[in-house]
This record gives sequence, structure tokens and C-alpha cells, in this order.
Amino acid sequence: MQEALGRIGFALILLGCAAAANAHHSFPVYYVPDKIIKVTGVVTGFRFRNPHGLIFFTVRGKDGTRAQWKAETNSPNILRRRGWSEDAFKPGQRITVEGYPSRDGSNRLRVYRVLLPDGRIFVSQRPGAGVGGGADSAKK
Amino acid sequence: MMRSAALCLVATLAAALPLRVWGQDRHPDLSGFWTVKFERRPSGQQLIDELPKGTVMIHDTGAGELGRGDFAGLKLTPAAKAQVKQYSPAKELKRQNSCVAPTVVIYMQAPFPMEIYQGRDLIVFKMEYFDMYRVILMDRRKPLAHDAPHYKSGYSVGHWDGDTLVVDTSHIEAGTFMNNGLNHSKDLRMREKFRLSPDGSTLWSTELYRDPKVFEGTAARYLAWTRRPGKHVFPYDCDPTYAQQ
Repeated sequence: MQEALGRIGFALILLGCAAAANAHHSFPVYYVPDKIIKVTGVVTGFRFRNPHGLIFFTVRGKDGTRAQWKAETNSPNILRRRGWSEDAFKPGQRITVEGYPSRDGSNRLRVYRVLLPDGRIFVSQRPGAGVGGGADSAKK
Repeated sequence: MMRSAALCLVATLAAALPLRVWGQDRHPDLSGFWTVKFERRPSGQQLIDELPKGTVMIHDTGAGELGRGDFAGLKLTPAAKAQVKQYSPAKELKRQNSCVAPTVVIYMQAPFPMEIYQGRDLIVFKMEYFDMYRVILMDRRKPLAHDAPHYKSGYSVGHWDGDTLVVDTSHIEAGTFMNNGLNHSKDLRMREKFRLSPDGSTLWSTELYRDPKVFEGTAARYLAWTRRPGKHVFPYDCDPTYAQQ
């Protein structure tokens, strides 16, 4: 009986601890923080909403095949203070994204910065700055 | 002539400084807009030095979150170990999870600005992250009954210890403790200390946690903010379709 109560108690504690999943996820759980890759393609869409922005773009391989890529940005709230806006990227625009590759090997990366052909650079998350980096590190 | 001008200047500066740093109740004035300060080395080391001996520091604020399975060296309880074993990053990214507001434990740690409104009996924190608010009761009221409801922001009672604001928070819903799968229980207790730098431009804070259902001993985070007069927090609209795209 005592053992059964103990098991029930343990299960209840476990339930209490596991009650909530979180909106915010740890960057290094999903992406490799100490590696940066560079991918160039053409924008097909841009979503600038919390919790994270997403840039959708198509990348043409050497053999001519096209692959769909997705680049995740920092929170738009943080990026607005760095000069980003809803219309930063438009469909058809050529971009180069430098960022941290996905751990699962998918065509997804976390944006360090986006380079445009006209020389503009949009910084999302500098190497070593963590997910936030604070507004002090928010300068381009 | 020169001497009297210099004296006048010193007197003016001496009069102006306390007005900026000290509020009307002779306590430091924390009011204003604060943005997270990225520091390589903590400028508020003195607050860290005041933490209980053996406290595990969690270095996941601003500069670097923790990876999977890295719980900062905390000694987890068997229940917590079982809980993190169930953690699945893939399952976490679901529509129903994308816009769930965090508890005070995470929203204070997150890299978003805040505004502080300081009164004598009440201090209000307006957080940018998830548009959360905190109310700190400063009127020395009794602790809330153990079986009272639990909230995202918990129940916070504060007092001044010299130049330091000390805030004790209980009745926090169970929620994320670290962003890598470790949750805290509803019994977590948090003691925060807030202190201004001598020039009033930086706000230092430590958050000390006790949660015997999840880990042994004490754990803490250190945070620093920079004051930015005239600025305001932005609204935080969260779109859960993020997880489906």
C-alpha cells in the first residue's frame, strides 16, 4: 500500500513538473551554434511575426534542381530595433543567408545575417551572442 | 569668482544626482525603460557574491542558451530526470505550444526590454515578452495561503534592504525552467534582488531559485539591464502558425 502511494506521489510530482511546454525553445537544441553556413537563393515569402520570423527561399543546386529553404530569425520585436521591418524581403529578391545549420539536417537554418545584392546587411543573431544578445549588441 | 562658480557647479551636480537615482521615498528609483545588457563579465558581481554558497549559476541569459541535456550542473531529482527524458524538441514545436506565455522564471530571463513603474506600496513591471505584467506588493502583507491559485507571474512580495529591492515570489504555475526541456514545479520559490549601479544607468539582478521537487540546493541567474530614457516596450503579438510553417 505504502509503495503504491509512493508511486502515485512520484507520478503526481512528474505530472506537475511536466505540465507546461514553452513557446520559446533553446537555440542550441535545434541549431548548431558554433557553425555557420552560407546559402544563396530567391525569396518566396517572408513572415515577420513572433515568436520568430521566417524567410522562405528557393536554392538552385549545381545540377539545376531547386530546393526549398527556410531561415528562422530572432524575434521581430528584437529585430525592429535593428532596422528590420515586414517588407525587408520581397518575393523574387535574391538573398544570401548566413546562419547556423539545423541539427536534423533539414533545409532550415537560424539566421546570423542576411546579405542583399545592394550591400545592405540585416543582422539577426551574431555568433556568440546567444538568442538575444540584448539591445546593446543590436547594432548592425 | 572661479571658486564660487565651481562650488555652484558641484552643488548643482550633487542635487541632480540623487533626484535621478533616488525616488521620493528615499529608495533607489528603478522607474523607466530597461533593455537587456549584454556583458562579457558581470558588472554586478557584488550581487552574485551575495548568493548562498554552493548556488549553481545558470548561464543562459542573453549570451548563450544551454544545449540539450545541459542543466548547468544542477543535481536533478529522480522525478526531474524522468521528465527531461521525455523531452522531445520535435514535439515541442507544435501550434498549441508556440504562443504559450512563459512563467516569470523565463520571462525575466528572456532578452526583451521592460518598463518599471515604482510606487511606495506597489511596483509594476511591464514586460515586452508576451505582454506580461508583474505586480510587486510592497506593503508588507502576509504571504498567500499555500492552496491559493498559482499564476504565470506568481505572487510577489517585496521590501527594501538598504539600496536593494528584494522580491520573494511564490504561487508560480509549473512551467519552463530552462529552454532545453527542464521544467520547474509549482512549488518553486524565487528570491530576486535588484540594485542600481552607482550612476543609476544599469540595473543588476539575481534570481535565486529553490525547487526541491526538481533539483537539490539553490540555483540562480544573473541579469543586467541598461536604462534608456524615453523608450517604451513594443506590443508582443504571437502567431502560433509559426510552428506549422
